[in-house]
Amino acid sequence: MAANPISEVVKIKRKIYIELARQVLEGTIEDKIQSIPYKIVRKKDERYRCCIHKERAIVKERIKLALGFDPQLHKQEAPADLLTKRGEEDCCANTVNVIELACDSCPIDKYTVTDSCRNCVAHKCVNVCPVDAIITIQNKAFIDQKKCIECGRCKKACPYGAINENIRPCVRACSVDALSSNSERKAFINYNKCIDCGSCIQACPFGAISDSTELVKICRALKDKDDKLTALLAPSFVGQFGAKVEPATIKSALKEIGFDKVIEVGLGADLTAVEEKKELSEKLNKEEFLLSSCCPSFKKLVINEYKELIKNISHTFSPMVKTAQRVKKESENKTVFIGPCIAKKAEACLYTSVNHVLTFEELLCIMVAADLNLAAYCDQEAVQDATKYGRQFAYSGGLSEVMQELTEAKLETVNGNGLEQCIEVLDKVLEGESEFDFMEGMACHGGCAGGPSVINKPQVTKKLVQLFAEEANLKKAEYNEFTA
Amino acid sequence: MDEITIEVCVGTPCYLMGARELLDDMQKLESESEGKIKVKTSHCIDDRCEKAPVVRVNGEVYQDITPDKLRKIVSAKL
Repeated sequence: MAANPISEVVKIKRKIYIELARQVLEGTIEDKIQSIPYKIVRKKDERYRCCIHKERAIVKERIKLALGFDPQLHKQEAPADLLTKRGEEDCCANTVNVIELACDSCPIDKYTVTDSCRNCVAHKCVNVCPVDAIITIQNKAFIDQKKCIECGRCKKACPYGAINENIRPCVRACSVDALSSNSERKAFINYNKCIDCGSCIQACPFGAISDSTELVKICRALKDKDDKLTALLAPSFVGQFGAKVEPATIKSALKEIGFDKVIEVGLGADLTAVEEKKELSEKLNKEEFLLSSCCPSFKKLVINEYKELIKNISHTFSPMVKTAQRVKKESENKTVFIGPCIAKKAEACLYTSVNHVLTFEELLCIMVAADLNLAAYCDQEAVQDATKYGRQFAYSGGLSEVMQELTEAKLETVNGNGLEQCIEVLDKVLEGESEFDFMEGMACHGGCAGGPSVINKPQVTKKLVQLFAEEANLKKAEYNEFTA
Repeated sequence: MDEITIEVCVGTPCYLMGARELLDDMQKLESESEGKIKVKTSHCIDDRCEKAPVVRVNGEVYQDITPDKLRKIVSAKL
């Protein structure tokens, strides 16, 4: 997936997050929450929906999600009602959520005839249809949707390009067929198939699918200071916070908004690399191969769709979990993973060591709410927890490079760069047409640098991460004092 | 013809609302303009953070701007 294009949908989501974060930090949320829909959707603004009331109602649904509640389970309650239910949030219910009110119930007929149809003499569409689903009505071809088997031959045959192929953007975006529609034609997610990759969220032009968020919960923790928080910065954090905002600036700024400690997840990546290397050696001794486990979407893909290969998934904890465990060994602090990833929100629910997950987007919203302008922020505190190799985990191919670096013999490695490639490689493995020692599977194109919540372009992030990796004091993962 | 100076705010509120895309696009325009367009960055323009992203073209401030809208404004001045 490419970096988020800043569409209106994205802007609205961010504006709501900023407003919510500001009210929590200023301690006014109890009094002012009902004003947010009016502030976000003003009378004079452009309209996208049927009316201003619907737009505001959708904002309310988004607020419910940001408060930690599934809007589908709390249709009757207003955001203010949910504020009183602190501690009862639907944490870990679903990571990817449909906001039914926002779903436009796009057409589900795959092939339809448009006005470009000339009712020509050759009528190739009628001839080519294997199920006789096309007839002529009122001087125009018509597809009987009850008969249509969606083969697409009519579309290919029409010399006028008059047959339109319509696939819902969410359905098209989903690589694992988790999306369909319910009886009201609203988007419906099959959670037994969903791997939390976030593709549908980015694809829907109505913003009708959104990820769960702990934004409000974390803002409360930052304000109340009941628990000390440690921020775990994912390796792809470099360059996500502004054109020239350096890692050391980000660390200082995180402390300014209330985090007690800041640690690089690159450190956990070093630990993961060293342990995963041991696992790989054992596999190779048995003439087996190993699949990486640090991308939760890839791991879920294998578990759901490639059951025969489950035995090949690495058992090593992901860099997020490794880092969180390290933090827990040394302190009582609550851990907040900050990354580009939606799937990490689901992964975190499986481990007690990871308390919360924020995306870069959500963190930036909190910074804006705290009136912290990183472009003009001068304080710095050096970031130096990880080695060159741990830092490299941020982009596609980085993990494979580390595995090669740690192994003396030449490794056969394959990189699944994006879900489509991952699926292609895994299919070939099952067909016996692909052999390798180690596969690095990343659901996002470009690796984590191309995650659904990145702000910077993946290519730019990769370059910045590489520069940052070269700056690391320690060059070998094995030399990180913690891996010993 | 006069030179056009474009200041793109890269403060955090603007950055979050698409300043990076504006800057990328304007820098591209700058490199094609044979010196007619100058692109600078700013940390904050006019405190209009609520209406981010904000740019200043030859002293005039534009808010809630997109790369497409900004291109039209700039080409009208060329």
